[in-house]
Order: sequence, then structure tokens, then C-alpha cells
Amino acid sequence: MMLQRLAFAAALLLLGLSPVTAHGPTPQKADDRVTIAAPPETVWKLIAAFGSIADWHPLVKQSKATGEAAGAERTITLAKGELVEGLDEVDAGARRLSYRLSKENVEALPVSFYTVTIEVTPAAGGSEVSWGARFYRADTTNEPPENLNDEAAVAAMTDFIRQGLEGLKKAAAK
Amino acid sequence: MIASKSTLCAALAGAMLANASFSATSAGEIVAVVSQQGARLTLVDAATGSVAAEIGLPRVPAGIAGSVDGRTLFVTHPDLGLVSRVDIAERRVTDSFKAGAEPFGIAVIGEGRSLLVSDWSADALIRLDAGTGRETARAAVGRSPAGLVVDERGGRAYVADRESDQVSVVDLATMRRIAAIPTGRAPFALALSPDGRELYVANVRSNDLSVIDTAALSEVSRIRVGLMPYGVAVTSDGSRIAVTNQQSGKVAMLDRAGRRVLAEMKAGDYPEGVVFTADGRLVVAVWAEDRLCIAGRALASVCDYRVAVAPGPRMMVVLDGDRP
Repeated sequence: MMLQRLAFAAALLLLGLSPVTAHGPTPQKADDRVTIAAPPETVWKLIAAFGSIADWHPLVKQSKATGEAAGAERTITLAKGELVEGLDEVDAGARRLSYRLSKENVEALPVSFYTVTIEVTPAAGGSEVSWGARFYRADTTNEPPENLNDEAAVAAMTDFIRQGLEGLKKAAAK
Repeated sequence: MIASKSTLCAALAGAMLANASFSATSAGEIVAVVSQQGARLTLVDAATGSVAAEIGLPRVPAGIAGSVDGRTLFVTHPDLGLVSRVDIAERRVTDSFKAGAEPFGIAVIGEGRSLLVSDWSADALIRLDAGTGRETARAAVGRSPAGLVVDERGGRAYVADRESDQVSVVDLATMRRIAAIPTGRAPFALALSPDGRELYVANVRSNDLSVIDTAALSEVSRIRVGLMPYGVAVTSDGSRIAVTNQQSGKVAMLDRAGRRVLAEMKAGDYPEGVVFTADGRLVVAVWAEDRLCIAGRALASVCDYRVAVAPGPRMMVVLDGDRP
């Protein structure tokens, strides 16, 4: 009985903490850009090394990827856990990279799904990097708690992008 | 639907008389677009690329459908569990009523007497009395039903069950599901050919378009279209199909007969909703750029107009169009 009850509780916990890939119908947006005093090709190389985001993103403690072409998967470790991302498109000519969240972890980042596009373009004095994300709040029901609502998702993603861009800027200057 | 067209024309003519900003409008060229973040409905004249009217809505509007009397639009609010009724001539929301748990897709049926809504969290297709908002029937469908199209001649509704990777076919007379047709992964948007024989299903996660033979109730083709297809529309002659590929930032134009992509157009960042006007103009809601891209013809390579709208434009409807 005890074991059954424990198993049931564990199942409930799993259900509550990992809504797998389901998400609600209201997408959110965050985007930002930065100008970097380095050639576009230098900045692009950092971004295109899909498995090496931990080298330049201050919020990513560890990262590893199965490759650097479309279809590759990347696992990134943040302060509170891991996320898995799938690489959708790499356009080296346009210096544009698109990926999506394959396995969520709302403890690590309070969003239930996202797609991201990062693009490097030539700019006066070097490069401009634009980073855009489209995502959903962590709790997709109509009464999300404060830490899992739209505002929390936007704040977390905005911070992740900002810190990523600052990290790129530092790494490109090295 | 032919009768509905003429009444819609008449109502729009009334609106034109009531407001000079509609004066340059030709029939079938007004597109109503819902901006989710901006909580606004914008009426855009696709022929001139100008904003004809803006109407404030309750929070997080999503789906939209036009009534056959031509005076009314209905908008879903999944986060609020509401449907709003918009008076086009008065340019305001006249009332909002409860509709299921998370109403998303919406259609008007029975010459305006009823509404159908897909309920994202209740996994149901719900019929409502259009006058009172009262629920009159409910059909169980798959998980997270999103896009919804109706073939009234055939007496059916088609619902994209996003998390079940299938399309549910619901008989309108009995409000019972008669089939569940497997599709690609995460079907979201639907469009029906004008003759009702083919249903096009945009599969967000498998990056393809399912073609369903509605007589056989089965998928006959799956065509790779681009990254994250989120919207689909068919020209009034049925020969071309437009698909918005959200993550590619492009619109793919397909040929019905050849079942292949003929051309692609750069639409902007995160294109979502797509419609064709009666005159064959292609209108795309560019979600991340908060504007519409309007192209003069189906195989255009650039947007003729880029029209700024309120933040987060997604779903659209043509006020006097040839919706299937």
C-alpha cells in the first residue's frame, strides 16, 4: 500500500513538473541586439559552434551537442537544471541559426517551449547580433502561479538573451 | 455561403456610408486581424494597404470568425474562457460570454445561428447559440484542438488536434466525431479546398503539410514545406496553397495539382496567419514584426505593402472573402 501510494505521489509530481512538450495557445516574444567590435565571421564562429555555448554564455554552466548541422541536439546546463535543444537550421551564408526547445525544464527556465533565431550581420565598426525568441509560459493553464506566468517567462527569456549577447561581446573581443 | 457574401457586402456598404475611411474599399478586400499582445482588432484594406479601423478587445484575443450577417465578428480569448462579439459598424465589442475552458478556434455555422469553438484544454468541439452564448452541444476530440474549419455543404467540421497528431472529423448534425485522421506532428492550422475535397493541415513540429482526401478520410500526401508551418490558406480557384513557415520567416506557395512547393517569399520574422482576399491578394500576419505583409498575387516575391498593426498579430479573416 505504502509503495503504491508513493508511486502515485511520484507520478503526480512528474505530471506537475514536466508537462512534456504541451503548451498553451498564447506565445510570448523577447528580442534584443548588440553591436560587437569584431568581424561578423568571428562572431558567427562562436554561435555556430552549437555545442560550445557554455564557452561564452554566462548562464550556461555546461553544454554538449551531437553535432553542428540541422538535426543536432544540444544539452545545456543552467544553474537549476538541464534543457535539451534541437538545431533546426544553420545558414552559414546568412550567418543565421535557428533552434528549438526539445525537452523543457521549468525549474531551469520558466518556459514550456521556445524557438530561437540568432543572426549576425555586418555593422559599422564590426557586427550586429540579433537574438529573437518565441515562447510560452511554463504553466499553460489559465491560473498560473506568479513564478510560472507570462511575466516570469518574458523576464527569464529577456535576461537569458541579454546575458548571452553580453557574453558574446566579451568572447569576441578575446 | 453565396448568400452570406451578398449580405456581408450589404453590411459593409452600410459601414462605408457610416464612415468615410471605408470609401476606397472594394468588396472582399477588408481583412480583420487579431493582435494577441495588443488586444486589438484591426481592419485593413488589402487593396490600398491602409488601416480602416481599430477596435479594442478584451485581453489575449486569439481566434476570429465572421458572421454571415456581415455585421459581426467573433473572437476567442483562451486565457479568459471567453468569446467576444464585435459589432463592425459600431466598431466595438458589444458583449463577451463564457465559452468552455480555453476556446481557441472558432467558426460560424447555421446561417449565423450557432458558433463552433475548439476548446484547447477540454479536448472538445463545442457548439454555442450565437445569440445567447449558451452551449448546445459538445463533441469529444483529441488533445489540444487548435485550428477549425467547417464544410457546411458536407455537414462536417475538421479540427486539428495538436497534441494528438491527428485531425478529428465531426458530423455537424449529430455533433459526434466520425473519424480521426493521423497527420504529421503537431497539426495546428487547417484550410479546405473550395470544392471541399481536400483538407490541408500545417504540421508545426514535423515541418510539413498533410493533404487529406475528405471523401476517403485519409492522408494522401505529406509535403515538406519549411520550419514550423503555422498558417495555411487556399486561393479562391483552389489552384494554389500558401503556407507560412514561422521559423523560416517565409511563405511557401504550393501547387494543388503537383503537390509541391513552387516558390517561396520572405515575409518577415515569424509569419503566422495567412489569407487570400477575393481578388487573390496574399495577406500574412508577421507576428514578431507587428505588421501585415500584403502581396499582389499568389506567386509574388515581395510584400507590396507592410502595414503596422498592434503587437502580436496572428489570426485573420477576410470580411467579404471566399472562405471555404
